[in-house]
Order: sequence, then C-alpha cells, then structure tokens
Amino acid sequence: MERKDNKENQIYAADIVSIREAQLRIAPYIHRTPVLTSTSLDFIAGKQLFFKCECFQKGGAFKIRGASNAVFSLEDGQAAKGVVTHSSGNHAAAVSLAAKLRRIPAYIVIPKNAPKCKVENVKRYGGQVIWSEATIQSRETVARKVQQETGAVLIHPFNDKNIISGQGTISLELLEQAPGIDTIVVPISGGGLISGAEGRIITLPETDTIADGLRAFLGELTWPVVRDLVDDIITVDDVEIIEAMRLCYEILKVAVEPSGAVGLAAVLSQRFKQSAAWNESSKIGIILSGGNVDLGVLWESFHR
Amino acid sequence: MLMAPPASGGSPSGSFEASTLPNLHPSRVRLFPSLHPYLMERKDNKENQIYAADIVSIREAQLRIAPYIHRTPVLTSTSLDFIAGKQLFFKCECFQKGGAFKIRGASNAVFSLEDGQAAKGVVTHSSGNHAAAVSLAAKLRGIPAYIVIPKNAPKCKVENVKRYGGQVIWSEATIQSRETVARKVQQETGAVLIHPFNDKNIISLVISSKWSGHNFARAVGASPGIDTIIVPISGGGLISGVTLAAKALNPSIRVLAAEPKGADDAARSKAEGRIITLPETDTIADGLRAFLGELTWPVVRDLVDDIITVDDAEIIEAMRLCYEILKVAVEPSGAVGLAAVLSQRFRQSAAWNESSKIGIILSGGNVDLGVLWESFHR
Repeated sequence: MERKDNKENQIYAADIVSIREAQLRIAPYIHRTPVLTSTSLDFIAGKQLFFKCECFQKGGAFKIRGASNAVFSLEDGQAAKGVVTHSSGNHAAAVSLAAKLRRIPAYIVIPKNAPKCKVENVKRYGGQVIWSEATIQSRETVARKVQQETGAVLIHPFNDKNIISGQGTISLELLEQAPGIDTIVVPISGGGLISGAEGRIITLPETDTIADGLRAFLGELTWPVVRDLVDDIITVDDVEIIEAMRLCYEILKVAVEPSGAVGLAAVLSQRFKQSAAWNESSKIGIILSGGNVDLGVLWESFHR
Repeated sequence: MLMAPPASGGSPSGSFEASTLPNLHPSRVRLFPSLHPYLMERKDNKENQIYAADIVSIREAQLRIAPYIHRTPVLTSTSLDFIAGKQLFFKCECFQKGGAFKIRGASNAVFSLEDGQAAKGVVTHSSGNHAAAVSLAAKLRGIPAYIVIPKNAPKCKVENVKRYGGQVIWSEATIQSRETVARKVQQETGAVLIHPFNDKNIISLVISSKWSGHNFARAVGASPGIDTIIVPISGGGLISGVTLAAKALNPSIRVLAAEPKGADDAARSKAEGRIITLPETDTIADGLRAFLGELTWPVVRDLVDDIITVDDAEIIEAMRLCYEILKVAVEPSGAVGLAAVLSQRFRQSAAWNESSKIGIILSGGNVDLGVLWESFHR
C-alpha cells in the first residue's frame, strides 16, 4: 500500500504466511538470538538502539535461516542428490551446515578472495569446496557446471523465495523481543542506492569495500521489495564501517564483521541524522548480521 | 523440602515476576539451619557455619539491583560443545552494564546504603571492573565515587571509570598501596568503602538464581539440568555468591573455580586449608590478581568443589575461541572458565565423568585490543 510505483496487486516473493511457515520449519536448526542494548551507544547515537545479534547465529551469521528453510523445503527425491551454491562466505557455510543436518552433500563454489575464516567454516560443516574466480560471472558459471555434473539443487544466496522467507524470521523475533521498535536498519548487499534512484536494478563493474559480505547485486525477487517497501538506503564509507565495528567490540563486546557493522555505521552517519527519518525514529532495531571476520583483517582495519 | 524450585507458583515477596525466583520460603532457611542443604555438604564439618550471604540476601539483592543491570543472555555453541566434549552454557556477563558482572555487587552495595551514609560518596580500590561498576552505581544514585586505581590497570578499564564519572586517584600496583591510598581518601572525604569482594552486599550476587530450572529452560530452550558451574576466581566475591545461590537451589550442583596458574593463591589456599597469599602474581588475566578475604574464604573452603588452574597460553586460546566461534569479546579473566573446561586437568578429574551440562560464566569483556592482538601473536 506504500508502493512507490503504484502497481496494483504486486505479489512479492514471500509474505507473512511463508515467513511464519519458515519460522516453524527452521526452529530446530537455529538459535533464537538475543537482542542487546547499550546505554553508552544510545548516548552516542542519540536514539534507543536494539541490536539483533545474528552474529551469534549458527555458523556465525543470519544465513542459516534462509539456508535451512530452503534445504528443509526440498522433497526427499530432490534433496538426495545434494545442494550446490556459490557464495563469498556466510551463505556457503550455512548451506553446508543445513545440508549436513539433512545428511545430503553440499557443493560450495567459493571465489578465490573469500575470507579464510569463512572458507574454514564451510569445511567445518562438511561442505565440498570448489574454487572460482572472484567475479559474479565465474561463480555462476562454475556453479552451473557442478549442477549439471551432480544433479544437485541450486540454492541461490538471496534470489529465492525460501531464502527470503527464512531471513524474514528475524523480524518476527525482533518485534517479539523488542516491541515498540519504529525503525529497522538492515545491511544490504550491492548497489541498492543507485538502483533506487534510477528506478531499476543497477549493477556495478566492480566493488571496493571492506564489507566482503555485501558485494552482490539485487535480483529480480529482491528488487521489488527494495523498490516498493524499503523506505530509504543509507550508504557509509569504510572508515565509518570500521568505526562502528570498533564500537561493537569495545562497548557492546560483540565480535561483528564489517558487513555486520554497516547498520550501526548508518545510524551514526551524518546522512541519517540529516534525513526525515531521523526525527521520526526513536527506537531503532539494528541487525548485526554476522561475526565472521579474520582477526588479522580486523586488526589491520583498526590501524589504518 | 529445600530442593530445586517448582516450575510455577508465587513467591513469598509477591512483588515481582513469579517465575523469576524459586519458591523457597525465607522462613525455612532461618528456622531450620541445620537442615539446610548446603550445610550438609560442609567439608570441615563445622556446625552452624554462617556464610556472608544466603539465598534470602541474594533474592533481596536481585530485587534491589534489577533496575540497574541487564539480564544477560546465555549462549550455546555446537562447535564448542564438540571441542569440549560436553554441553556448554555461556552466561554472558561481558554484556553486563560496564562490560562485566561487577555492577551486580556494586549496585547492591551502593543502593543498600542509608541516605546519610551515601551522601559523602563511596570509595574503592580496584584494577578495573569493580572500579567502573562502583562509578556507575554511584552515578545512578547521584553520589560521588572516589576510585583508587593501580598504575598498571588496563587503559580501557580506566576509561570506563572516567566515562561513568568516577574520580581517579592513582596508587602503586600493590595491594598494600591500594589499601593505604583508599584509607587516606576515606579519612579525607568520609566516603564509605566498598570492598571489591569481601563484603556481604557484594557477595549477594544473583547470577545463580538465573540458573534456576525454569528460567534456564526459557533462556536456552532446552531442558534444565546444569550439573556443573565453572567460575573465574580472584578475591572470591563472584564464586561465593554464585555458589551460595546455586547450592541453595540445587544442592547436588557442582561448582568449580577456574584460576590462572600465575595467580593460584586460591588453589593453594584450598589445598592448605587456610588463606594463602602470594608475593607477586604473573598472569595476563589482570582481573584475577586479588587474594581471598575472610568472608569469601569460608565459601571457597567449604562449598566450592574444586579449583582448576590454567596457564596463560590456555587462557589466550580460550579467548580466541570465544572471539572466533562464539563471536563474543571476552577479556582474559573472563575466558578462564572455558580454558578450565578444555584443560587436561579437568579431563582427568573425577568431575569430568560426572559432568555433562556445564555452565560457564564469561565474567567480563573489557580488554585493550592491543593487548588482545599481541596475545594472539605471541
């Protein structure tokens, strides 16, 4: 009803029904992560903040929600040949873990520049690693090849209704744990701001950010939601991301990866403080989406 | 009759959430001391031993401090369970106000003062977390806090004191200097001394009541039944409160202390049967350098089942696991419990076979990132 393009009868890839079904389906496989608050961070931000700690999720990030919803939605016949995906990290580990829990093989295509700790997670969860080049095209090509050879089902990192429904369960929990939240700030992967301004999906020739989990572009299932229902997109630079990460460690005591700190960076940014939303927000939920970061990378970031 | 609490029912005080606390009527504790469960386990067979706190004072503390603290979560990790060979439940006091559990005891002490007493402020000496906690509790009460800090205290802990409005007075890095300077401040200001641990209000911590059956079930969505709790030990304030509450709620629960080898005074004290102090301490766990006091020692002597010592390498490894797997920023002192669970010493002990669900208290997360980095790269 708030759709900006006034399309009638827009159907999105997921809805409250599919998300509640997902919540039931994935409950045995995930943690109900806590929501943390900090008077010190509230003081710094000038707002009441509620941190949904998906960095404590199984596998260290929220991805297991979507992955387990997708893997456990498969018919037995489909599932038997296993699952395949391409991912720079957290989705890869999540699919490996969900497949292990369902006792089916997981073929994971990983780009060469993926963080070491994320590759380790895949191996720890029994995923079979197949390397690709560090471009979206290479990831997709190699994944298709594996699919043809093995007959495995492709579990897309985000452009999949089961994945989207699984991720939606975060909101169900957050709103139960912190009722009264008027704003939710969520990391988004890819060039969503430009897409929003242009009115269509924009892709970038390359990405350059410390937030290694946020390099993907929107898909045709995620784009309509972003286009119609996301109220605004706030961009932040790497310096702001690193500062937010430092605050999470030092004040919240939570190990969060750069991609996971983006939400806090946005809340502290000038861009947000100057926006219309600033005056209207008072209780802000922030999703700390993941905590898988190589300590070496972290250290170097803090000392740039 | 005084066993683990029923799952429902009101509480005698009636003024708080009924499911929060066990349904132990306070009069039972007072009228039948010789039948009290934990008194039956006293290793030294002293009759009528009274400890500095009990389930009643701890429940009162819980009411008193509730507005000032966080109810911290309990985290679990399948990966760490696999590494440890046991089911582990991490009580995350690193997420507590001020970054450590100390605010529980400090706010109980500060808010127990009469208005006349409190007006002149409070003074304490501490290498860190207790200092910040007293500063914060004093700020919340609107009274001054004079904090004596030894010169070798971690920078982040000093920053916490300032952030909470405490007035810093420096001392040398010895217990004697800390105590002397604190006494001087007390005389000059008339402030009340809040001891870091040897104080009944400090000991009346409420952490253990969080482990009570149905709370715990709600917290982790699993059936209750923690059989062992592992607690870092320094002056003994934390473990005294935790043990007194835990054994009152579940007399068969086992409580183990975890201590750095470079500050193993509590282990020696337990072995010798009297308080032992060390001429110096040498450990990365900067929060665990104090010695037992006469209020905390009896609880350690009689009710703590064993003390496991670990070296700095084991502490650092446990810290790394907390960061990398649990995603929690824990300070060295806070990681000592996990280090103990993973140690050879524990695996070879009698308790190993009998434990299956182990609660570990991650006591704090205040660590200088520089210190952390250097530790991981020694």
